[in-house]
Amino acid sequence: MYQTPVIPRPLAPLPRLPGDEWGTQVQLFEEIFVVFLVLGTIVGVVVVSYTLYNAYKYRDRGEESGEADRPVLGELPTGEGGGRKLFLSFFLSAVIVISLVAWTYGALLYVEAGPDDQGTDENLDVDVVGFQFGWEFEYPNGHSETNELRVPADRTVTLTFTATDVWHNFGIPELRVKADAIPGQTTETWFIAEETGEYTAWCFELCGVGHSDMVADVIVMEPEEWEEWYEDPEAYENGETDAEDESDVDEETDEEENGENDAAEDEPDDESEAVVTAVTR
Amino acid sequence: MSDLPPASTVKRWLVTTNHKDVGILYLVTALFFLLLGGVLALLIRVQLWTPGPSLLSGGAYNEAVTTHGLLMVFWFLSPFAFGFANYVVPLQIGAKDLAFPRLNALSYWAYVFSGLLMVISFFQGGTYDAGWTMYAPLNIPEYSPSVGGTTAVLALVLFVVSVTIGTVNFLVTIHRGRAEGMGMWNLPLFTWSILLTVWMMLFAFAALLGALLLLGSDRIVGTLYFTATGTGDSSLLWAHLFWFFGHPEVYIVFFPALGVMLEIFQTFSGRRLVGRKWVILAMILIAVQSFLVWMHHMFLTSINLEIKTLMMATTIGISLPFDLIVFALIYTLVKGRVQFTTPFLFSLGALLLFILGGITGVFLGATVLDYEFRGTYWVVAHFHYVMFGGATALFGALYYWYPKMTGRMYDEFLGKLHFGTFFVGFNLLYFPLFLAWETPRRVFEYNVELITWHQLATIGGFIVGASFLIMFYNLYVSYWNGEPVGENPWEFSRTAEWAIESPPPLENWPGRASYADGSLSFIETAPAHAADGGRATDGGVVSQFVEVREPTETELAHAEVHEDHASIWPFAIGLGVFVLFLGLSGLHAGELQGPHYLVAIAAGLGLSAYALLGFGLEEFNAPEALIAERWPFEGVGKTKLGVWFFLASDVVVFGAVIGAFVFIRAGMGWGAWETVPPDPLPGLVNTFVLLTSSFTVILALVAAERKSKRGLLAAMGATLALGFTFLGIKAWEWSYEFSVGIYPQTSIEASVYYVTTGLHGLHVVLGMLIALFMFARIYRSDAYLEDHRPVEFFGLYWHFVDIVWVFLFPLFYLM
Ligand code: HEM
Ligand SMILES: [Cu+2]
Ligand SMILES: [Cu+2]
Repeated sequence: MYQTPVIPRPLAPLPRLPGDEWGTQVQLFEEIFVVFLVLGTIVGVVVVSYTLYNAYKYRDRGEESGEADRPVLGELPTGEGGGRKLFLSFFLSAVIVISLVAWTYGALLYVEAGPDDQGTDENLDVDVVGFQFGWEFEYPNGHSETNELRVPADRTVTLTFTATDVWHNFGIPELRVKADAIPGQTTETWFIAEETGEYTAWCFELCGVGHSDMVADVIVMEPEEWEEWYEDPEAYENGETDAEDESDVDEETDEEENGENDAAEDEPDDESEAVVTAVTR
Repeated sequence: MSDLPPASTVKRWLVTTNHKDVGILYLVTALFFLLLGGVLALLIRVQLWTPGPSLLSGGAYNEAVTTHGLLMVFWFLSPFAFGFANYVVPLQIGAKDLAFPRLNALSYWAYVFSGLLMVISFFQGGTYDAGWTMYAPLNIPEYSPSVGGTTAVLALVLFVVSVTIGTVNFLVTIHRGRAEGMGMWNLPLFTWSILLTVWMMLFAFAALLGALLLLGSDRIVGTLYFTATGTGDSSLLWAHLFWFFGHPEVYIVFFPALGVMLEIFQTFSGRRLVGRKWVILAMILIAVQSFLVWMHHMFLTSINLEIKTLMMATTIGISLPFDLIVFALIYTLVKGRVQFTTPFLFSLGALLLFILGGITGVFLGATVLDYEFRGTYWVVAHFHYVMFGGATALFGALYYWYPKMTGRMYDEFLGKLHFGTFFVGFNLLYFPLFLAWETPRRVFEYNVELITWHQLATIGGFIVGASFLIMFYNLYVSYWNGEPVGENPWEFSRTAEWAIESPPPLENWPGRASYADGSLSFIETAPAHAADGGRATDGGVVSQFVEVREPTETELAHAEVHEDHASIWPFAIGLGVFVLFLGLSGLHAGELQGPHYLVAIAAGLGLSAYALLGFGLEEFNAPEALIAERWPFEGVGKTKLGVWFFLASDVVVFGAVIGAFVFIRAGMGWGAWETVPPDPLPGLVNTFVLLTSSFTVILALVAAERKSKRGLLAAMGATLALGFTFLGIKAWEWSYEFSVGIYPQTSIEASVYYVTTGLHGLHVVLGMLIALFMFARIYRSDAYLEDHRPVEFFGLYWHFVDIVWVFLFPLFYLM
């Protein structure tokens, strides 16, 4: 029995206790990123305005107001007082930075450990091999595809990476998945795609002349449909299936290089209920 | 020995060893590379106007990205900063020149010729295209086969040589050449920032040199360090070596800019720095800690969670001292009289850009966020805000010291116009990249939805480019028509460079500078100057600092010595090495790409040897400070200290190479390694030979101290004989190994064995050359009997080479 992690959004509840579920990588990233953005913007605006305000307020008016001890040429360098204020600001900024990053540490542990169902049957393991210039995806049943990854929605997918020639890096921006693919090494990451549709995987590490074109299609399918494909990919691709009415099927036939960029436009035909459907096997 | 020709001649600029001349040379050359790197950047931005290929092919795009990064970081930023360092540091500490003026010229020429190699690499079937990070195994010939790629690696090697020489020079100068009364705490902040920069450089660039030597040997000889097939770890090995250098490098390029900001903020706010001591401590902390964060560039590799946690902690830790420095800068403005001159505007702008770069850097420090940002334009935008933001302050420095260097004021209106266009263009260029952050970097395909941001960035890029045309125009016109300035055009300047004429005279001060009584004075000892006619009496700022005193005995004796400011040999050595490296670039995995490369190798070797000999035989009296602050090296002579610093960096080079061995072997399983030499006996004999030669070097020193020419000749002769025995046994051993089919290309074990012991062998060869040179000089001109220190310096080096062997022997023969 597999339950999709259903996490109320956004940002709730802050802060998280260790071991608390963070949901998919998309949710987790969005939550942390927004907090950083908000705090970063506040800190940035405050500090920059304060700097500009002081620079303007103390601009040279050509005369000295009251007693001032100005530096003179040839003096041995020394410093000015005012350490108290300095340390107060320093302390404040340190608290913000340290607590922010410490807060994300729980999320790191969660991402590293993966969701609870990893290693169980509910989890789909795909081996990914990067090469100049493409991606090979190998499924547990031995089936493999080049430059096309099909996964079911709402299920944890664990990707294990390596590379045959040079260092690559596999990333699907919309799904917030990323991992290095290094020759002779294996690395791992996982993701859960909540919405069916087409996404693009890019290569994020310079790997040679074809680096810019090293893209793969990531097709997230309805779980039942995916099962159908998975049982017999050839038959499915040849249209020997009763699922022709599903929009995904046509999409996958008009693969062209930049077609993935329209992923967002495709979303309307997706079954949005899929997000919260519990899948039973 | 020759005299310095006037500044209007070309010859002057080829032979000068004066720190101010060399500083100008650095600045001009660095600006040239800024233009080159800038043109490449604009090419990239044009390509990114729309997604997909347009102007450049995939390969050409990679070349543009790679060389833009390399040129900007190595050939523009640091040399530009060191142009100022050259010019200003000796002035700020009250010295007459750097400790080793000829070596200073040598580091300049090595820099120029390394840059020339980079330029040539474009025309050798394409330059390097593996990114400025040169990740393995994309960096080896199998995947980046062009000859130009090898040339670029060799250019980097020569650049590191230049940096190492410069580093040793600055370390000795700042530690041993400060005016009387100027303690370490009293160093002006720009000088402090340079001091910490060179300390970081000494170790970081040594690690890079180690990495480049391995890479160079993979490319030239065909060894297997970074081929993925040998072991599973070659990619990570490179990443560790590169980032162990690469992270400190971030601070190496930023610190001089920080120093400039600290200096300029004080001058144009009329306030001394708030929390000065804490700022210095914070900078020291950063310099040390910079070596402990490198794996934050590898969060997505197979390193484990514990290490990630540690690196995340150290990374956050290193951001905190920066907070303190930023606040110190801001509070310095409070209660000041802030003058919005061009240098101040650039420094203020740099601070604002750095704040933004710093905040976006905290995002990257949070490992989970870094997982998504890695390899995207977030990183590109962030590091440009930090590095190019830092460079912004350096342009401020150009305006700040321009009147000092030329004696004329720049045009303030054009300066402000430059700043305005630059600052607007900068933010238009890089801020949209944060919004387009999902774009993968080093890629010209991107999601069309992001096109607006990329087009804004391209427009911004051209505005930044145009702003520099204003700058060049301003600097050019002002050089001829600018308002002449006196000594000190700034109301609140403090440091010594402003107490002398603009531009300063060749030997900087009347007499010597001193802070002995708490503030600057120039102590003149030569009575001839005092009467009149000397600069002391011409009114102006200088005269108020001059004090005339009776010379002491030593000073009188020293007054006779003629001080030199010119030598052609640094240029000649640079040229020789340049030709040699150009020849070496034609070796591809042990195979020569054409006979002309062989000619270049031979000519380069010959020219280098001739120039080195000329350098060694030349009488050259560097301006020496008789009275100076030397903490913490009071008891150590100038050259000896230089040798120490050099050996410290050499330790790191060997550390990187031996570390690579340990890393590869541990990755394969320690026991799975096959020992290469069939028999440990030759190695054992060689160990005894080298240890004995350490002993004969000591005997040589004893003989020199006793002024015994025969003893000295005998001991040096014995050392030479032992050295040749070592090399002979080594040659026999290698030829035997070749004969049974063990080549450097045979296996990873053989690669590591030949390269590591070969690097040691190269050190022995260099030692032998020095020893031969010394032997000949003792024989012909009774050298070192009066002054035996060179024998001691040679001994230091020789002991070091022997100690390295003591580590290598068990590692490669017994374990
Ligand atoms: C001091 C000035 C600068 C420094 C130190 C600098 C440094 C760098 C570095 C290290 C890289 C990475 C190269 C690589 O990925 O291998 C880079 C990339 C880039 N820089 Fe600069 N840069 C500077 C100025 C500029 C300017 C003026 C522009 C625009 C006009 C620019 C635009 C770019 C672009 C478009 C990339 C490619 C990004 C990518 O695809 O990864 N840079 N720069
Ligand atoms: Cu790639
Ligand atoms: Cu770093």
